[in-house]
Amino acid sequence: MVIFTIAHHTFREAIRKKILYVLFGLGIIIIIISPLFPTIDEPDARVKMMLVVFFQVVMLLCIVGILLLSATSLPSEIEEKTIYGILSKPVSRLKIVVGKIIGFAFLSALLLTILSLLNVILIQRIASRLPEGYKSILKARNEFKASKFCIQGKSHHTSEGIVWIKGGRTGIALWSFSDLCKKPNSKSSFEVEFDIKVESSKGFINTIPLAVGIEDTFQGRSKTEVLSLRIDEPLTLKIDPEIVRNGSAINITVFPIQGTDYIGVTQNDVKIFSVQKGFVSNYAKAIVITFLKFLLIVIIAVMGSTYLSAPVSIASALVVFLCGHILDFIKDFSLLIQRHDVHEHALPTMLKKPDVFLIYLDYIVKKPLEWFSVILPDFKRFDSLKFLLKGINIPLETVGVVLGYTTIYAGICIFISSVILKKREFF
Amino acid sequence: MNNFAVKTEGLTKVYKDFWRRKSTPALTNLNLNVERGEIFGLLGPNGSGKTTTIKLLLGLLFPTSGKSWLLGYPSSDLKIKNKIGFLPEESYLYKFLNAEEILDFYGKLFDIQRKERKCRIDRLIQDVGLEPYRKRPLSQYSKGMLRRIGLAQAIINDPELVILDEPTSGLDPIGSYEIKELILEFKRQGKTVVLCTHLLADVQNVCDRVAILDKGILQVIGSVRELLSQKDAIEFLVRNLSDDDIHAVESFIRNKNGDVLSVCHPSSTLEDIFINIIHNRK
Repeated sequence: MVIFTIAHHTFREAIRKKILYVLFGLGIIIIIISPLFPTIDEPDARVKMMLVVFFQVVMLLCIVGILLLSATSLPSEIEEKTIYGILSKPVSRLKIVVGKIIGFAFLSALLLTILSLLNVILIQRIASRLPEGYKSILKARNEFKASKFCIQGKSHHTSEGIVWIKGGRTGIALWSFSDLCKKPNSKSSFEVEFDIKVESSKGFINTIPLAVGIEDTFQGRSKTEVLSLRIDEPLTLKIDPEIVRNGSAINITVFPIQGTDYIGVTQNDVKIFSVQKGFVSNYAKAIVITFLKFLLIVIIAVMGSTYLSAPVSIASALVVFLCGHILDFIKDFSLLIQRHDVHEHALPTMLKKPDVFLIYLDYIVKKPLEWFSVILPDFKRFDSLKFLLKGINIPLETVGVVLGYTTIYAGICIFISSVILKKREFF
Repeated sequence: MNNFAVKTEGLTKVYKDFWRRKSTPALTNLNLNVERGEIFGLLGPNGSGKTTTIKLLLGLLFPTSGKSWLLGYPSSDLKIKNKIGFLPEESYLYKFLNAEEILDFYGKLFDIQRKERKCRIDRLIQDVGLEPYRKRPLSQYSKGMLRRIGLAQAIINDPELVILDEPTSGLDPIGSYEIKELILEFKRQGKTVVLCTHLLADVQNVCDRVAILDKGILQVIGSVRELLSQKDAIEFLVRNLSDDDIHAVESFIRNKNGDVLSVCHPSSTLEDIFINIIHNRK
């Protein structure tokens, strides 16, 4: 009850801030004008642009707004001494922290709901005018990866994990897929996507002819087609529904027809997707993941504000937010600062003089960076846009993993916040 | 456990600077007992440690050493705050709310049921004289009005112990008189009041006992009557005496080797006159 009283109060206080309305209004304007942004010629590019603008630009604005409010709420209560009124009542400091977080979480949920509804309505309107072949962006496709991959015959050579095959049936790449019909759905269709590297000894060419065979391993039925594969462009092929429904496993074989052509393949270059309608539910899942991202940012901002003043708290929350998006870069950067171990050299250790600067660099920069990358939240986990752009169904496991990650991270942050606030004195 | 409303034992607070070094003590070895049901005044000049004492009692600050109890329980016990009301030295309130909303918010923090809460809010707004302004945001309130609503929030939970830090600051004489009347009403209801102020008139009018602090050290503690009485002098207050009779009384005293220090008509205080004038005009 007390937590919700503080949450409700926090919400009421936050919705009176002008900054919120400015950013919210800006968000609405950007969503409305996003269909007018110039795009490439592809018919579905506009929808993709709207998704990118919403999830990258509008969400960034909202996150900055929520971050500003949540990082300044507690410091301003302390500065204006309104916290005396709460602390002199039977309210634990943990409840104050949790109440603030819930208040801002509710505000985030409200913002996300309004903006995402507007975005999804506009996307549906624009997408309804798309040609049939480009409506896959409005589908939610389940991805199936090959359970087995092998080369029948001879491969030409292998380089950086890519197996190259020469045309003219000298070698055939084979991908086996099983458990395709775990949950048969009469409304879903199947398609296969090829993302194969291509080269030709004939010099610069645009396309190469490719023989693609799809075999139902249960009944032994197969169908072979010749497709024209464009260089550097994935190819999508619809699978005969009968083949998939009859067997739970299928094989896909690919080889270049002409002896002058080469294809480079790996296990993940061919994927099968079960396609069904469900853009809205997929979009909802993406919004849930984005909400969890908001929640984590709120928690981090509130945690900082339990000890820091308002401007420092905003700055620290922004730094964490930015660094959380470039964790891979931080990890790579720490690897660059690798101390040259004297044992690697031919001379005995006794004779080598270790570079003191590099040793210090190791401890001053590399180790802290490594720790930094461990402590910081990994916001890449919350990237749901990549699924929507490819029209891939966001697996519930992904939502679950993100939820679990947020729960653990939030739990630690709330614990730290309550400990800091418990030790804090109010002069 | 003890039967005092407020008890402190060797309560000491030394503030630390940015480098965690201890500076001058704000409060040194305070031993205080406040009986239940009395009005206790905590006096002292600015910076004497009054507000530090209150903050230590409410858990806003942590003591460097010593202990304190409120209503028989350690002051760090969260549950005891259910029975305490606190008015800070300035009205630190949420200015975007109106009187009704702010009292509702604080009432909810005490987990008071909705019906009971509404009842108390109506009564308190009436008691502090803010009925016509109950829907007006606090940002539009005068300092005196803020003080009144601050006092109302301090007693929303019907506390056993009320701690008031400078309750009359910013109030006009009428407001100040009404607050003092309210404090006396608390006493009649059996509540304990700890009044922290540097306005000595407030203390003299309402307090049973006082403690005087200076530079964080307790200088004196005792009942107001005891502290103010001059044991070597006697005062008569008489009515209907002619000038001759007055001279006769004077001569009689001198004959008995007494010194007559002053013979004069008693005067009212300015506050009494001000209140009479305003009440008569109404």
